[in-house]
Amino acid sequence: MKKQTSAIVDDANEKKLIDGLLENDDLAYETLVRQYSTRMYAVARRFFNNDDDAQECLQKAFIQVFKNILSFKKDSSLMTWLHRITVNEALMMIRQKKRQKTMSLESFAQHYNVYGERTDFTNDEGGELGRFIENNIETLFEKNETKISLNEIIYQLPEKYCNVLLLRDIQEISTRETAELLAITETSVKTQLHRARLLLKAILEQHDKESLENNWKVN
Amino acid sequence: MIKRLMTKYVPGMLTCEEVDSFLYDFHEGQLSNIEKVKFKLHLSMCAECRAYVRGYKNTIRISQAGFKKAEPIENIPEELLEVILKSRTKN
Repeated sequence: MKKQTSAIVDDANEKKLIDGLLENDDLAYETLVRQYSTRMYAVARRFFNNDDDAQECLQKAFIQVFKNILSFKKDSSLMTWLHRITVNEALMMIRQKKRQKTMSLESFAQHYNVYGERTDFTNDEGGELGRFIENNIETLFEKNETKISLNEIIYQLPEKYCNVLLLRDIQEISTRETAELLAITETSVKTQLHRARLLLKAILEQHDKESLENNWKVN
Repeated sequence: MIKRLMTKYVPGMLTCEEVDSFLYDFHEGQLSNIEKVKFKLHLSMCAECRAYVRGYKNTIRISQAGFKKAEPIENIPEELLEVILKSRTKN
């Protein structure tokens, strides 16, 4: 077995490596895969919490790297570029995992009475959020009978909420970088993240939260 | 009722709806000092909002804990690296 190293090459060696990649040099590609795969895998693993999906993601990410190496702009670091490609592939895989058509929650809003006091969304029979949860609750919690996969719940959120939640709260990517990755404004990132958290909160509270905390399957 | 009267007559007293609009920035530590005082004053008087804010924080905490527990493997399996390297020649 060849020795693997997660150490990332320094600037001078990175430049040499990039030159080699652009010249289609076999050794440069082998160096790239061996030296950067561990860090790219760590990014993928945080999205999926299981080795199979993370490995598939890593493989797909490298295919994109090989296809697009000529478009690599030297003004960013190689790892930054590889990180972005891995994140994009992970989001693509999660999109494909969605089993149901998620509804638009554009009109989603918290509910208050005329005094600006909080009212429970479940009491609002016409509420879009309430209907979403009611319609999807069985799908969301059907996994492994009583054991719930938190990943699955998050994957089944409407795509824009799922993406922003995964990038900001799970991957802890900055608001600015999340905005760039998703091609939306920073304001949209903030708004969508807040709504994603509220939606997730509402879904979790719809189920018995206490039993959820005890029973969650954490891979 | 007390909360409703306070909201109406105490200057700067937030409504639950206003608390909600402050919640994201509160969690991100981006409220000004005066906004923070208003936010906390409302929470001190409103059990519903305290529960709501607690639930918001718990949701973030639980989702982060759920995704972070697994330790990534230190070395990628050699077979996978070989497959990746071979996929390049296929392109």
